[in-house]
Amino acid sequence: MGNVISCFLPGTEFDRAAQGLLGAAARLASACQVPHVALAACVSDTMTEALERHADRVVCIRSGLLSNDHPESCLAAFHAACASLDAQTVLLGQDARSQEMTPRLGYRLGGCSIGDAQSIDMTDGGLSVRRSVYGGKAVAVVRASRTPAVVWIRARAFEPAAERSDSVQTEILDVEISDGIAATQVTGRQEESRTGVRLEDAPVIVSGGRGLGGPEPFEELKKLAGVMKAEVAASRAACDAGWVPPGLQVGQTGKKVAPELYLAIAISGASQHLMGITDARVIAAINTDAEAPIFRHCQFGLVDDWKNVVGPLTERIASLLQ
Amino acid sequence: METATREVYWNISHHWVMYVLLVPTMAVALYGVWRHVQRWRAGKPVVRFDRPVMRLKRLIRFGLLQISLWRDPLTGLLHAMLFWGFITLTAATTVVMIHEDLNIPLMQGRFYLYFQSLFVDVLGLLAIVGTLLAGLQRWVLRPRRLVFSGEASCLLLLVFTILVTGYLLEGWRIAVTDDPWGHWSPVGRVVADVSAAFVSDAGLRTAHVVVWWFHLVLVFGFIAWAPYTKMRHVLTAPLNIFTADLDSRAGTLKPLDFETAASFGVNSLEQFTWKELLDLDACTECGRCTDACPAASAGKSLSPRDIILDLQHQLHEADVSVLSAASKAASDPDSGPALPIIDTRPALSPESLWQCTTCAACVEACPVSIEQFPKILDMRRYLVMEEASLPPMLAEAVTSLEQRGHPFRGAQASRTDWTDGLDIPHFRDVEDPEVLLWVGCGGALVDRNQSSTRALARLLQKAGVRFGILGRDETCTGDPARRIGHEFLFDAMARSNVERLESAGVRTVVTSCPHCFHTFRNEYPQFGAHLEVFHYTTYLARLIGEGRLVIDPAVTESITLHDPCYLGRHNGITQAPRDLVGRVTGRPLKEMRQHGAQSFCCGGGGGMSFLEEEADTRVNIERARQVVETGADTVAVACPFCTTMLEDGLGAVSEERSVAVKDIAELLWDSVSSDSSDGDASTDHIDSSDD
Amino acid sequence: MKILVCLKQIPDPEVAPRDFRLDENNLIADPASAGLVTNIFCENALETALQLKEAAGGEITVLTFGPAEAEDVLRKALAVRADHAVHVINPGLLHPGSSGAACVLSAAIRKLGSFDLLMFGREAGDWGEGQTAGLVAEHLGLPFVAFVDSLQTTESGLHIVGQTDSGREELTAAGPVVVSITNSDANVPRIPKTRDIMMAHRRDITTWSLEDIDLTEDLVREAAGSVEVTELFIPEKDTTCEFITGDSADERIDAFARRIVDVIGSI
Repeated sequence: MGNVISCFLPGTEFDRAAQGLLGAAARLASACQVPHVALAACVSDTMTEALERHADRVVCIRSGLLSNDHPESCLAAFHAACASLDAQTVLLGQDARSQEMTPRLGYRLGGCSIGDAQSIDMTDGGLSVRRSVYGGKAVAVVRASRTPAVVWIRARAFEPAAERSDSVQTEILDVEISDGIAATQVTGRQEESRTGVRLEDAPVIVSGGRGLGGPEPFEELKKLAGVMKAEVAASRAACDAGWVPPGLQVGQTGKKVAPELYLAIAISGASQHLMGITDARVIAAINTDAEAPIFRHCQFGLVDDWKNVVGPLTERIASLLQ
Repeated sequence: METATREVYWNISHHWVMYVLLVPTMAVALYGVWRHVQRWRAGKPVVRFDRPVMRLKRLIRFGLLQISLWRDPLTGLLHAMLFWGFITLTAATTVVMIHEDLNIPLMQGRFYLYFQSLFVDVLGLLAIVGTLLAGLQRWVLRPRRLVFSGEASCLLLLVFTILVTGYLLEGWRIAVTDDPWGHWSPVGRVVADVSAAFVSDAGLRTAHVVVWWFHLVLVFGFIAWAPYTKMRHVLTAPLNIFTADLDSRAGTLKPLDFETAASFGVNSLEQFTWKELLDLDACTECGRCTDACPAASAGKSLSPRDIILDLQHQLHEADVSVLSAASKAASDPDSGPALPIIDTRPALSPESLWQCTTCAACVEACPVSIEQFPKILDMRRYLVMEEASLPPMLAEAVTSLEQRGHPFRGAQASRTDWTDGLDIPHFRDVEDPEVLLWVGCGGALVDRNQSSTRALARLLQKAGVRFGILGRDETCTGDPARRIGHEFLFDAMARSNVERLESAGVRTVVTSCPHCFHTFRNEYPQFGAHLEVFHYTTYLARLIGEGRLVIDPAVTESITLHDPCYLGRHNGITQAPRDLVGRVTGRPLKEMRQHGAQSFCCGGGGGMSFLEEEADTRVNIERARQVVETGADTVAVACPFCTTMLEDGLGAVSEERSVAVKDIAELLWDSVSSDSSDGDASTDHIDSSDD
Repeated sequence: MKILVCLKQIPDPEVAPRDFRLDENNLIADPASAGLVTNIFCENALETALQLKEAAGGEITVLTFGPAEAEDVLRKALAVRADHAVHVINPGLLHPGSSGAACVLSAAIRKLGSFDLLMFGREAGDWGEGQTAGLVAEHLGLPFVAFVDSLQTTESGLHIVGQTDSGREELTAAGPVVVSITNSDANVPRIPKTRDIMMAHRRDITTWSLEDIDLTEDLVREAAGSVEVTELFIPEKDTTCEFITGDSADERIDAFARRIVDVIGSI
């Protein structure tokens, strides 16, 4: 039957996404009654220890060429490792490098690849993946008819795995990478200077839309976000209008976020925007129009003009949180 | 009794010198005029001397009676004083010439007394008062619209001095000759009496000779200089008024022949017609256009006056031979502009050109029939079609128009969302249809306006009108594309719409949006449409007139009315909306400072509703302030774009007192449904559609 | 520099949700329910290519695999001055998927000869997987960089800047490379000049059948078959929003604030 392999690329930390990936792999493995192998390369000791507490096997790739997180060598190393590990299903997270690697790994392993899985299931015919298509207007279920299936999943949206009672011993796998990987060279990396958390990792997000009518109201949203310890985000309309930087855009052509709480203010909720927040646990909204589509995705909402609400709400939340 | 007359060259010897001086004077003046004519003649051809009777009528109204000047009473008065004073003085001088040089004795008897003495004397005095008022305006009141140039001040002082010295000469002649008919020239008589009291006859004789030659030099100087100054308008303004465009209202843009046009739009002087070049020289620098411009009033950089003046400077600096050659050259799209204009001077910056709402207040305000905004549109066409350079949000509106037939990127509503529960049939399913209800993108796709559209449809249902809609088959008329400057896209949309309506058998169209109305009525005929077109306000007024729709006054709130530019100014429909509002309130409205044909734009026309404005120069806030000034509870509107722009603007200005924005259809339906039980009252909510 | 840009035509992602329908028999979007547009990320890729060409010279070939209507995306690309356009006609495969598309595109690219740079959009607005570019790279044995937002030519080759989770990554590629382009401030698609639109309609487009690129429908079907679509549906919205009520605005805001604090407390 082969193994379910979860892949942790160089630099991965034990964050919510890693927990979700472990959870997804563990559940799939137990459903198929096969081992879950966590495959990692160049991760921290803390990360290795965490993997040891969650997977049936932990395999760490060792190769001199991996340290620079170079895409071609990373791919080659994981390919070699997966090929030697009898992969049935290979799961990757949603970080950029994992997304980049998924189709190539699938191709090299002679299997197939699927991106952006929102849920995975093993059926008789093979791995079945649910994913959102047509800008969130429809849902498709696709089935991998060739193994191994290599899939990147929306890791943050998956439940974390339960910890094992024991802990396994990490195995070291030496991998030879051929020289044919020098076609590209990494020449530099810039970490984006950020004051807060990345939107993708933010547990609470306050987001504003076209209904705010200009850049000034975002100052009020920032105050509200301040007391909620939240990050500020925006819809495409607000970004396009230049009210806030494009980096704050959430949606199909912006960031896909997965907070515990997403508070949408003056956002009507076009499907392209909803695409970016399908993984949020709780969505709440403030909008003047009770018919606005955003309310169809909310747990709770307030029908009112943001102008009347944001100020008092900020004060109220501040005093409640004291 | 001796026949009343006077000696022409009294006290002046060597007056032949005057005739000698006249030659260079006229040479300089005529050279100036000839240069202008030469420049105009380099423009592209256009027929503007047809239908002389109609043109003469316009000339009398706007050129002779100068009706548009009287909107500002002070200016109307002072200009009339100067205008009629100068006409009279020129006539009097001509009489002198005929009398003396042609030896036809006109200056005698009653004509001499009544006209040449009394009338001329009084009109001359009025002209002096006119110059004083003009001075008051220019140096004391200093309205923003004027150009405060040295040239303008010099001209005013020169005219004043010519007039005053004229009276001194007349007075001193009367005093010294003891003119028996002197009292027929009352001002001259007063000057004579005062002068004689202080100065001897001999002194006056000497002064007379000196001042006579001084006066002559000033007059000749004025004549020679005039064509090189804004005073050229005494010739160019009447000519410009006479050759104005008779066929289209200001808001109606001309189609382009894409197969033959050398340039799509204008970015070079030689691409203008001779009439458009004449426009530039007709400008009197009065600034009424900029004063009326909503963008300029809101503090933006756009100034129609400066656009015309900057273009005029470009024209005057251009080498006539280059202009002429470029204009006559075979059309070669790759040769580029010979005498470029866009972004060559501050007023011609793309930034300013992208502020025009196409409201045409400038054209309406211009006393000499200059067409400012069509030139702005020509330059926008160039930017959009030749350079593909337009603000990103307008590019998005254009892309959306092209891809999905409406300008609202990210719109979530479908064309038929508003029909929920109303049972509105598709036009093709209506038996013996009376009208097609053309909903428009603004009325269908913007949440806020759906209640207006619903109200309108219900009113039509209530009146028993057999109507249908095109639903998902409807697309934008192309108005935003055309006003943004994308004539190519408009052309395609217009052709496909005309064809669609034709094949659907549509004869009569009722539109909810004034922009659609204008396009159907005035611009689709350019593409072969033969439609009877109503804006819903006129159509509902007609239904009420025919007794098909009964409206009882049931609305108690006080109401003011915002005239949409494309209804009022562009199409002259200002009464129907007022009648309808009157029906629901039973009272006259509270008019805003600027209303009717002089209405102030909401800021949304010309594609501007798709642009983000700087917070401190928003046109809709200016207009919202005017709404608040009236003290009305509600502002009635008749355009989906005005509705959203004003709701936005009012949201930003009225902190203490909120003014509701209601479409006239909503008001009517409120009124109809309040005494019957079959309706839901219209609801107001702010559009927060987003992605 | 020879640049290839692959373009995909998709149903307009911005169609109103109410207008959007599915063809449930064929498990695709109902072609009548939405207009067809060029995928936005493909337009970003083309824009990046155009800027690169303007800066460094070269030639841009645009390539699409799709039905006859897909010619439109090529005309639009020609209108912004792409140099050559190639259309591989889809004979009617409903779900070529990334694998099928990659199989076709790489066969066409082999026939077209070598390119210095092969550009794709990050993902398509219909199926949205972002797999095709990587697969083509594998088919052709070329290196691949995803989420690229800027490219420059330098003496040592192509300088590539990609977006990563924590910032940006710079790479150089000495030889041919496949990149997938993401959207950035710098690659907002331009609109064409009118004269270029008119010219684009008169330009030649190379049209190939699968056989022209040494493939058959069966071969593509086999490649595409690695992933099958088994279901496609419009999801029911199962969330019911609880609207916060109250007699006064203060009460409602208070209740709303308490709900928010509850959620924050549960994290």
